[in-house]
Amino acid sequence: MVLVSAARDYVNRMLQDISGMKVLILDSQTVSIVSVVYSQSELLQKEVFLVELVDSISKSKESMSHLKAVYFLRPTLENIQHLRRQLANPRFGESHLFFSNMLKDTQIHILADSDEQEVVQQVQEYYADFVAIDPYHFTLNIPSNHMYMLPAVVDPPGLQQFCDRIVDGISTVFLALKRRPVIRYQRTSDIAKRIAQETSKLMYQQESGLFDFRRTEISPLLLIVDRRDDPVTPLLNQWTYQAMVHELIGIHDNKVDLSSTGKLPKDQQEVVLSSEQDAFFKANMYENFGDIGMSIKRMVDDFQQVAKSNQNIQTIEDMAKFVDSYPEYRKMHGNVSKHVTLVTEMSKIVGERRLMLISEREQDLACNGGQVAAFEAVTNLLNNESVSDIDRLHLVMLYALRYEKESPVQLMQLFNKLASQSPKYKPGLVQFLLKQAGVDKRTGDLYGNRDLLNIARNMARGLKGVENVYTQHQPLLFQTMESIIKGRLRDVDYPFVGNHFQQGRPQDVVIFIVGGTTYEESRSVALQNASNSGTRFILGGSVVLNSKRFLKDLEEAQRIAKYSTNVV
Amino acid sequence: MATRNRTLIFRKYRDALKSVRVPTSSSPSTSSVGGVGGGGPVIELASTSLLNPNRKYAPLSTEDPGAFTVGLPPAWVDVSEEIAANVQRARMKMVELAKAHAKALMPSFGDGKEDQRTIEGLTQEITGLLRKSEKQLKRLAAAGPSEDSNVRKNVQRSLATDLQNLSMELRKKQSTYLKRLRQQNEGQDGDDLEMNLNGGRSIIDDDNLDDMVFNEHQMAKLKKSEAFTVEREREIQQASKCSWPFVVESVNELAQIMKDLSVLVIDQGTIVDRIDYNIQNVATTVEEGLKQLQKAERTQKRGGMVMCATVLVIMCAVMLILLILKTILF
Repeated sequence: MVLVSAARDYVNRMLQDISGMKVLILDSQTVSIVSVVYSQSELLQKEVFLVELVDSISKSKESMSHLKAVYFLRPTLENIQHLRRQLANPRFGESHLFFSNMLKDTQIHILADSDEQEVVQQVQEYYADFVAIDPYHFTLNIPSNHMYMLPAVVDPPGLQQFCDRIVDGISTVFLALKRRPVIRYQRTSDIAKRIAQETSKLMYQQESGLFDFRRTEISPLLLIVDRRDDPVTPLLNQWTYQAMVHELIGIHDNKVDLSSTGKLPKDQQEVVLSSEQDAFFKANMYENFGDIGMSIKRMVDDFQQVAKSNQNIQTIEDMAKFVDSYPEYRKMHGNVSKHVTLVTEMSKIVGERRLMLISEREQDLACNGGQVAAFEAVTNLLNNESVSDIDRLHLVMLYALRYEKESPVQLMQLFNKLASQSPKYKPGLVQFLLKQAGVDKRTGDLYGNRDLLNIARNMARGLKGVENVYTQHQPLLFQTMESIIKGRLRDVDYPFVGNHFQQGRPQDVVIFIVGGTTYEESRSVALQNASNSGTRFILGGSVVLNSKRFLKDLEEAQRIAKYSTNVV
Repeated sequence: MATRNRTLIFRKYRDALKSVRVPTSSSPSTSSVGGVGGGGPVIELASTSLLNPNRKYAPLSTEDPGAFTVGLPPAWVDVSEEIAANVQRARMKMVELAKAHAKALMPSFGDGKEDQRTIEGLTQEITGLLRKSEKQLKRLAAAGPSEDSNVRKNVQRSLATDLQNLSMELRKKQSTYLKRLRQQNEGQDGDDLEMNLNGGRSIIDDDNLDDMVFNEHQMAKLKKSEAFTVEREREIQQASKCSWPFVVESVNELAQIMKDLSVLVIDQGTIVDRIDYNIQNVATTVEEGLKQLQKAERTQKRGGMVMCATVLVIMCAVMLILLILKTILF
């Protein structure tokens, strides 16, 4: 609840002291930030009767002086320019400015200069600069996510912008929580180190007054890791509800766009999948596909019963009862059709792409050993006509990540086969992935084969057998969290920034994955938090990945890297 | 939750820059901020912040003395204020109604007809207010695509939600009241009968009542309780009879109101309730609305009906003139 309630509190505070009819003006980023935590009907209750984007509102010439303007923007250069223009020709009665991050003095100066009509009543910094999609999961929706894979020399200003956005986002999470953390980062990742150092500089030197909160015994921990330490998780097919919807269809800011699946009634083309607003989703978002089918069937049965009793209207009393319960009925109807549509769509895709077969292989590649058997299985699937190109690519990548060093000849064979079969395949993509996230670059023990304890554990698991073949994979994050809880996170692998030090085990941990998180990892975090181990984890990333996005970032980075080497 | 107030620094800069700026502010900056509803624009500069107690639907210009008023709000704001006032009034009447219900349900010596009348009166008043508000709500709907129309649509939605909630509350109160009334009366009969028959033998069904041996005292008591029961039955029937059609009517009305309102009210948790969806959609629906309006205008102008009607009228006039000429000449 932590992140969502913090963001909601900020929005509430913005709106509650201002009486009268209001217009809320947002920019393209703050729209996401506000939309995931606040609904339109709640805004109407607070008398906000118009919501606009700051760039589109500049174009209109209507004057609406009976409205008070509440601006909630990120303090970027473009937004300041928009504000300048609007303050010079004010359209609204009053203006209240709220910024989601720290303003520079020069920016305040510019704004003061353009406010000749003195319409501005207050200028505040309300630190909600992150998109709180789930209670313990936030994202920053950074469009240029591929930056993290490129060396700094390629595009220094772009990389600086990327890092700044992350530092801004992370620092507001801690301002919202009113804590100042101890910072650790993954040793092998330059970008993680850079972000950790810049965050530390901001919190402890530049704005130390702002971050000077009441100290508790044990400071919270901020751990910055790199996506490339666990490239396997975004590539796998998912079988738990939320992760599966994102993998097969795509969730953005808790909305699912079904318009491409065609032939749907108008009100089901885009649906909301939010654990805060949908009780069924909250109960089932981490369940696997089989169990969801059962739950949905139960929900449909319940609904059918209600619908039947509603049709059986004989007396006036029945009619009255129907009129009373109509809003509830309508809501239930909408909810049931939404989930049924989603599950139907996903079943269709599973059938078309033979995902059950492929996913079994993928999970084998990710979790179990045996190079020879794996090679055979992958070759068979590559030869199988009904397997789609994208799945072939996944399989080869997973194989390559695991058996990079063993039998390079066979690896080469797979590359060639892939290149010959898939016309759209960009050659060298798998090699690029290995260069970025190969075994030499990784810190964590992704396959559990680095130290004896892990090997033993894996063998024991293999003997015991798994509950569900399709969900046996545990993301690397799970091991990291366990190490943190036990206080055994190695300093060698995850050093502290500067002279930070932490004694004992932290009770609040924020893990930020540069390059993006996945819903499988957020599920891991949520289940960990539910197990009441005394430590509370919050997960954040620059985007929320699925295999499509991960591959897109990879391709983009490869293209830029090739271009820059050609130029240089 | 940390925040930081930058207003002081902002004001400091603003004042400093104001004194530095050359006073060419003689050019009326009012021209760019003329009010929509006409009327002389009034600018009153103030540097006090507005922290008024939370007032619902209070438009900016008419209230606060030290406020920044620029122009008057448009006319529809008055309509929305009226509706809001009606809603408030209806709410207060609901509280009264609840009290009247409670009083009527309490066992009393009197007839209870007074209470019935007040309850009926209040219920009718409330339903009337809701109906009136709903009709006025339709007037709020705007024609033409503009930002103003979005504001109006949203105001409409918010008021529609309030109205729907009130209607549902009223329905619930009515039904619980009737249910309790019926329960109470049945309960009373049951109690009376039991009380009287406990004095005699065990309970036997009606057919055998004549065979029972009661002494006179008990017979009298029994007859009295019977009469009392019959009396109560008649009362319930009467109350139901005069309130039953009324209840039916009020249910019908409320059903109608709710149907109309449900078009306007946003379902929570759906995509329509998302802020980003509404921002995107505003652009598209505004364009659509403009297109529809233009099309409607065109069809109306070309209306065949209008042509026919004009032709017929002209023919009638011509015939009339011919008739008059005929009578004059011949």
